[in-house]
Amino acid sequence: MMVLWEGFLQGLKGVWTVARVVIPLMIVLEIAQSNGLLQKLNRRLARPFKAIGLGEEGAFPIVVAMVFGLTFGSGVILNHVQEGKVSPQETKVIGTFMALAHALIEDTIIFMSLGAPLLILVLPRVMVGYFMAYLVHRRNQHTMLTEGHNIQSVN
Amino acid sequence: MLEVNGEMLARGARAGLKTTWELAKVVVPTAMLVVIFKASGLLDVITDFFAPYMGLFGLPGEAAVVLFSGYFVNLYAAAGSILALSLSTKEITILAVMLTFAHSLLVELPISRKAGSPIGYTLLIRLGCSLGSGLILGVILS
Repeated sequence: MMVLWEGFLQGLKGVWTVARVVIPLMIVLEIAQSNGLLQKLNRRLARPFKAIGLGEEGAFPIVVAMVFGLTFGSGVILNHVQEGKVSPQETKVIGTFMALAHALIEDTIIFMSLGAPLLILVLPRVMVGYFMAYLVHRRNQHTMLTEGHNIQSVN
Repeated sequence: MLEVNGEMLARGARAGLKTTWELAKVVVPTAMLVVIFKASGLLDVITDFFAPYMGLFGLPGEAAVVLFSGYFVNLYAAAGSILALSLSTKEITILAVMLTFAHSLLVELPISRKAGSPIGYTLLIRLGCSLGSGLILGVILS
Protein backbone atom coordinates (compact mmCIF):
# COMPACT_ATOMS: atom_id res chain seq x y z
CA MET A 1 0.00 0.00 0.00
CA MET A 2 2.83 2.37 0.90
CA VAL A 3 4.21 1.81 -2.59
CA LEU A 4 0.95 2.78 -4.28
CA TRP A 5 0.70 5.90 -2.13
CA GLU A 6 4.24 6.86 -3.08
CA GLY A 7 3.42 6.48 -6.78
CA PHE A 8 0.22 8.47 -6.34
CA LEU A 9 2.07 11.35 -4.69
CA GLN A 10 4.80 11.37 -7.34
CA GLY A 11 2.14 11.49 -10.03
CA LEU A 12 0.27 14.35 -8.36
CA LYS A 13 3.48 16.31 -7.93
CA GLY A 14 4.12 15.95 -11.66
CA VAL A 15 0.59 17.07 -12.51
CA TRP A 16 1.01 20.17 -10.35
CA THR A 17 4.37 21.01 -11.96
CA VAL A 18 2.82 21.00 -15.41
CA ALA A 19 -0.55 22.51 -14.44
CA ARG A 20 0.91 25.70 -13.01
CA VAL A 21 2.45 26.42 -16.42
CA VAL A 22 -0.24 25.00 -18.68
CA ILE A 23 -3.22 26.90 -17.24
CA PRO A 24 -1.73 30.43 -17.53
CA LEU A 25 -0.35 29.50 -20.93
CA MET A 26 -3.71 28.36 -22.27
CA ILE A 27 -5.17 31.70 -21.19
CA VAL A 28 -2.41 33.58 -23.05
CA LEU A 29 -2.95 31.41 -26.15
CA GLU A 30 -6.68 32.03 -26.08
CA ILE A 31 -6.07 35.81 -25.96
CA ALA A 32 -3.55 35.52 -28.80
CA GLN A 33 -5.95 33.55 -30.94
CA SER A 34 -8.92 35.82 -30.26
CA ASN A 35 -6.81 38.76 -31.42
CA GLY A 36 -5.81 37.12 -34.69
CA LEU A 37 -2.14 36.89 -33.71
CA LEU A 38 -1.90 33.46 -35.36
CA GLN A 39 -2.66 34.98 -38.75
CA LYS A 40 -0.03 37.65 -38.13
CA LEU A 41 2.55 35.01 -37.18
CA ASN A 42 1.61 33.14 -40.33
CA ARG A 43 2.30 36.19 -42.51
CA ARG A 44 5.67 36.73 -40.82
CA LEU A 45 6.67 33.16 -41.59
CA ALA A 46 5.71 33.50 -45.25
CA ARG A 47 9.24 33.54 -46.65
CA PRO A 48 10.64 30.31 -45.10
CA PHE A 49 7.42 28.51 -45.98
CA LYS A 50 7.66 29.69 -49.56
CA ALA A 51 11.00 27.88 -49.86
CA ILE A 52 9.23 24.58 -49.20
CA GLY A 53 6.50 25.33 -51.72
CA LEU A 54 3.78 26.59 -49.38
CA GLY A 55 1.68 29.72 -49.80
CA GLU A 56 -0.08 31.46 -46.92
CA GLU A 57 -2.98 29.00 -47.04
CA GLY A 58 -0.62 26.04 -47.04
CA ALA A 59 1.46 27.37 -44.15
CA PHE A 60 -1.54 27.99 -41.91
CA PRO A 61 -2.22 24.33 -40.95
CA ILE A 62 1.45 24.04 -39.91
CA VAL A 63 1.30 27.14 -37.73
CA VAL A 64 -1.92 25.88 -36.14
CA ALA A 65 -0.39 22.43 -35.57
CA MET A 66 2.79 23.89 -34.06
CA VAL A 67 0.81 25.96 -31.58
CA PHE A 68 -2.28 23.85 -30.84
CA GLY A 69 -1.37 20.30 -31.86
CA LEU A 70 -1.78 17.73 -34.59
CA THR A 71 -5.53 17.29 -34.26
CA PHE A 72 -6.19 20.98 -34.86
CA GLY A 73 -3.65 21.20 -37.69
CA SER A 74 -5.22 18.17 -39.38
CA GLY A 75 -8.64 19.74 -39.01
CA VAL A 76 -7.42 22.84 -40.84
CA ILE A 77 -5.82 20.74 -43.60
CA LEU A 78 -9.02 18.74 -44.13
CA ASN A 79 -10.94 21.97 -44.43
CA HIS A 80 -8.41 23.43 -46.84
CA VAL A 81 -8.43 20.30 -49.01
CA GLN A 82 -12.22 20.32 -49.17
CA GLU A 83 -12.22 23.96 -50.16
CA GLY A 84 -9.49 23.38 -52.73
CA LYS A 85 -7.09 25.77 -50.98
CA VAL A 86 -4.13 23.37 -50.94
CA SER A 87 -2.84 21.04 -53.67
CA PRO A 88 -2.06 17.33 -53.14
CA GLN A 89 1.65 18.25 -53.39
CA GLU A 90 1.27 20.83 -50.66
CA THR A 91 -0.63 18.33 -48.50
CA LYS A 92 2.40 16.01 -48.55
CA VAL A 93 4.75 18.79 -47.50
CA ILE A 94 2.40 19.97 -44.75
CA GLY A 95 1.80 16.41 -43.48
CA THR A 96 5.53 15.74 -43.21
CA PHE A 97 6.27 18.95 -41.32
CA MET A 98 3.27 18.54 -39.03
CA ALA A 99 4.01 14.92 -38.12
CA LEU A 100 7.42 15.88 -36.74
CA ALA A 101 6.75 19.32 -35.27
CA HIS A 102 3.41 19.85 -33.55
CA ALA A 103 2.08 20.87 -30.12
CA LEU A 104 5.45 22.53 -29.58
CA ILE A 105 4.21 24.44 -26.56
CA GLU A 106 2.48 21.65 -24.67
CA ASP A 107 5.07 18.94 -25.41
CA THR A 108 7.89 21.30 -24.50
CA ILE A 109 6.30 22.24 -21.18
CA ILE A 110 5.90 18.60 -20.17
CA PHE A 111 9.59 17.82 -20.58
CA MET A 112 10.87 21.20 -19.43
CA SER A 113 9.06 20.67 -16.15
CA LEU A 114 11.00 17.40 -15.85
CA GLY A 115 14.32 19.19 -16.38
CA ALA A 116 15.11 19.02 -20.11
CA PRO A 117 16.44 22.28 -21.65
CA LEU A 118 14.04 24.38 -23.78
CA LEU A 119 16.05 24.70 -27.00
CA ILE A 120 16.81 21.01 -27.42
CA LEU A 121 13.09 20.32 -27.15
CA VAL A 122 12.09 22.78 -29.87
CA LEU A 123 14.94 23.30 -32.35
CA PRO A 124 15.54 19.70 -33.50
CA ARG A 125 11.84 19.15 -34.22
CA VAL A 126 11.41 22.36 -36.20
CA MET A 127 14.70 21.97 -38.05
CA VAL A 128 14.25 18.30 -38.93
CA GLY A 129 10.57 18.88 -39.79
CA TYR A 130 11.53 21.72 -42.10
CA PHE A 131 14.33 19.75 -43.70
CA MET A 132 12.17 16.68 -44.34
CA ALA A 133 9.39 18.91 -45.71
CA TYR A 134 12.00 20.50 -47.99
CA LEU A 135 13.02 17.07 -49.29
CA VAL A 136 9.37 16.24 -50.01
CA HIS A 137 9.00 19.59 -51.81
CA ARG A 138 12.08 18.88 -53.95
CA ARG A 139 10.72 15.47 -54.78
CA ASN A 140 7.37 17.05 -55.73
CA GLN A 141 9.15 19.47 -58.06
CA HIS A 142 11.15 16.66 -59.60
CA THR A 143 8.04 14.54 -60.18
CA MET A 144 6.21 17.45 -61.73
CA LEU A 145 9.15 18.20 -64.03
CA THR A 146 9.51 14.62 -65.27
CA GLU A 147 5.76 14.25 -65.68
CA GLY A 148 5.66 17.52 -67.63
CA HIS A 149 8.50 16.24 -69.77
CA ASN A 150 6.67 12.99 -70.50
CA ILE A 151 3.54 14.81 -71.54
CA GLN A 152 5.58 16.97 -73.89
CA SER A 153 7.34 14.03 -75.46
CA VAL A 154 4.03 12.22 -75.98
CA ASN A 155 2.66 15.29 -77.74
CA MET B 1 -3.78 46.79 -29.21
CA LEU B 2 -4.62 43.45 -27.68
CA GLU B 3 -8.21 43.03 -26.69
CA VAL B 4 -8.78 41.03 -23.52
CA ASN B 5 -12.16 40.16 -22.06
CA GLY B 6 -13.59 37.86 -19.41
CA GLU B 7 -14.82 35.38 -21.96
CA MET B 8 -11.30 34.80 -23.32
CA LEU B 9 -9.93 34.35 -19.81
CA ALA B 10 -12.67 31.85 -18.99
CA ARG B 11 -12.15 29.91 -22.24
CA GLY B 12 -8.39 29.79 -21.70
CA ALA B 13 -8.74 28.70 -18.07
CA ARG B 14 -11.19 26.00 -19.09
CA ALA B 15 -8.80 24.70 -21.75
CA GLY B 16 -5.96 24.70 -19.20
CA LEU B 17 -8.02 22.84 -16.60
CA LYS B 18 -9.09 20.32 -19.21
CA THR B 19 -5.46 19.66 -20.15
CA THR B 20 -4.58 19.32 -16.46
CA TRP B 21 -7.36 16.79 -15.95
CA GLU B 22 -6.29 14.79 -19.03
CA LEU B 23 -2.76 14.91 -17.67
CA ALA B 24 -3.77 13.75 -14.19
CA LYS B 25 -5.84 10.86 -15.57
CA VAL B 26 -2.72 9.44 -17.23
CA VAL B 27 0.24 10.62 -15.15
CA VAL B 28 -1.01 9.42 -11.76
CA PRO B 29 -1.94 5.83 -12.79
CA THR B 30 1.27 5.47 -14.84
CA ALA B 31 3.46 6.62 -11.96
CA MET B 32 1.66 4.15 -9.67
CA LEU B 33 2.04 1.34 -12.19
CA VAL B 34 5.75 1.94 -12.62
CA VAL B 35 6.22 2.06 -8.84
CA ILE B 36 4.52 -1.35 -8.67
CA PHE B 37 6.83 -2.61 -11.44
CA LYS B 38 9.72 -1.43 -9.32
CA ALA B 39 8.54 -3.05 -6.08
CA SER B 40 7.59 -6.36 -7.72
CA GLY B 41 10.94 -6.85 -9.44
CA LEU B 42 9.34 -6.72 -12.91
CA LEU B 43 11.26 -3.53 -13.62
CA ASP B 44 14.56 -5.38 -13.09
CA VAL B 45 13.54 -7.96 -15.69
CA ILE B 46 12.63 -5.21 -18.18
CA THR B 47 15.84 -3.35 -17.34
CA ASP B 48 18.07 -6.38 -17.93
CA PHE B 49 16.34 -7.27 -21.17
CA PHE B 50 16.51 -3.82 -22.74
CA ALA B 51 19.88 -2.69 -21.32
CA PRO B 52 21.88 -3.53 -24.48
CA TYR B 53 19.42 -1.72 -26.78
CA MET B 54 18.95 1.31 -24.56
CA GLY B 55 22.72 1.51 -24.24
CA LEU B 56 22.84 2.58 -27.90
CA PHE B 57 21.07 5.80 -26.88
CA GLY B 58 23.18 6.33 -23.76
CA LEU B 59 20.22 5.21 -21.63
CA PRO B 60 19.81 2.62 -18.86
CA GLY B 61 17.58 -0.42 -19.53
CA GLU B 62 14.69 0.89 -17.43
CA ALA B 63 14.35 3.84 -19.84
CA ALA B 64 12.59 1.36 -22.17
CA VAL B 65 9.52 1.76 -19.94
CA VAL B 66 9.51 5.52 -20.60
CA LEU B 67 10.03 5.05 -24.33
CA PHE B 68 7.23 2.50 -24.68
CA SER B 69 4.74 4.46 -22.59
CA GLY B 70 5.47 7.49 -24.78
CA TYR B 71 5.29 5.63 -28.11
CA PHE B 72 2.18 3.61 -27.33
CA VAL B 73 0.27 5.79 -24.87
CA ASN B 74 1.31 9.44 -24.82
CA LEU B 75 3.77 11.96 -23.43
CA TYR B 76 1.86 12.22 -20.17
CA ALA B 77 2.37 8.50 -19.60
CA ALA B 78 6.06 8.95 -20.41
CA ALA B 79 6.18 11.79 -17.86
CA GLY B 80 4.50 9.56 -15.29
CA SER B 81 7.14 6.86 -15.85
CA ILE B 82 9.96 9.40 -15.62
CA LEU B 83 8.56 10.65 -12.30
CA ALA B 84 8.55 7.13 -10.85
CA LEU B 85 12.06 6.20 -12.03
CA SER B 86 15.24 7.91 -10.97
CA LEU B 87 16.85 9.08 -14.21
CA SER B 88 19.48 11.79 -14.61
CA THR B 89 18.75 15.08 -16.38
CA LYS B 90 20.91 13.92 -19.28
CA GLU B 91 18.87 10.73 -19.63
CA ILE B 92 15.59 12.64 -19.36
CA THR B 93 16.82 15.02 -22.08
CA ILE B 94 17.67 12.17 -24.48
CA LEU B 95 14.30 10.52 -23.84
CA ALA B 96 12.52 13.85 -24.27
CA VAL B 97 14.03 14.51 -27.70
CA MET B 98 13.37 10.95 -28.87
CA LEU B 99 9.79 11.18 -27.66
CA THR B 100 9.03 14.61 -29.10
CA PHE B 101 9.65 13.12 -32.56
CA ALA B 102 7.46 10.05 -32.00
CA HIS B 103 4.69 9.70 -29.43
CA SER B 104 1.02 8.67 -29.03
CA LEU B 105 1.51 6.72 -32.23
CA LEU B 106 -1.70 4.72 -31.91
CA VAL B 107 -3.69 7.95 -31.85
CA GLU B 108 -1.60 10.25 -34.01
CA LEU B 109 -0.84 7.95 -36.96
CA PRO B 110 -4.56 7.67 -37.83
CA ILE B 111 -4.90 11.46 -37.41
CA SER B 112 -2.06 12.01 -39.90
CA ARG B 113 -3.64 9.53 -42.27
CA LYS B 114 -6.89 11.48 -42.16
CA ALA B 115 -4.88 14.55 -43.14
CA GLY B 116 -3.46 12.71 -46.14
CA SER B 117 -0.23 11.01 -44.98
CA PRO B 118 -0.13 7.18 -45.21
CA ILE B 119 0.46 5.41 -41.87
CA GLY B 120 3.59 3.58 -43.04
CA TYR B 121 5.20 6.82 -44.24
CA THR B 122 4.45 8.77 -41.05
CA LEU B 123 5.61 5.87 -38.86
CA LEU B 124 8.85 5.63 -40.82
CA ILE B 125 9.81 9.30 -40.59
CA ARG B 126 8.73 9.72 -36.97
CA LEU B 127 10.35 6.55 -35.62
CA GLY B 128 13.38 7.15 -37.85
CA CYS B 129 13.91 10.64 -36.45
CA SER B 130 13.25 9.40 -32.91
CA LEU B 131 15.78 6.57 -33.02
CA GLY B 132 18.23 8.66 -35.07
CA SER B 133 18.15 11.55 -32.61
CA GLY B 134 18.63 9.06 -29.75
CA LEU B 135 21.72 7.59 -31.39
CA ILE B 136 23.19 11.04 -32.04
CA LEU B 137 22.45 12.39 -28.56
CA GLY B 138 23.70 9.17 -26.98
CA VAL B 139 27.08 9.85 -28.58
CA ILE B 140 27.16 13.63 -28.07
CA LEU B 141 26.00 13.71 -24.46
CA SER B 142 27.96 10.78 -23.07
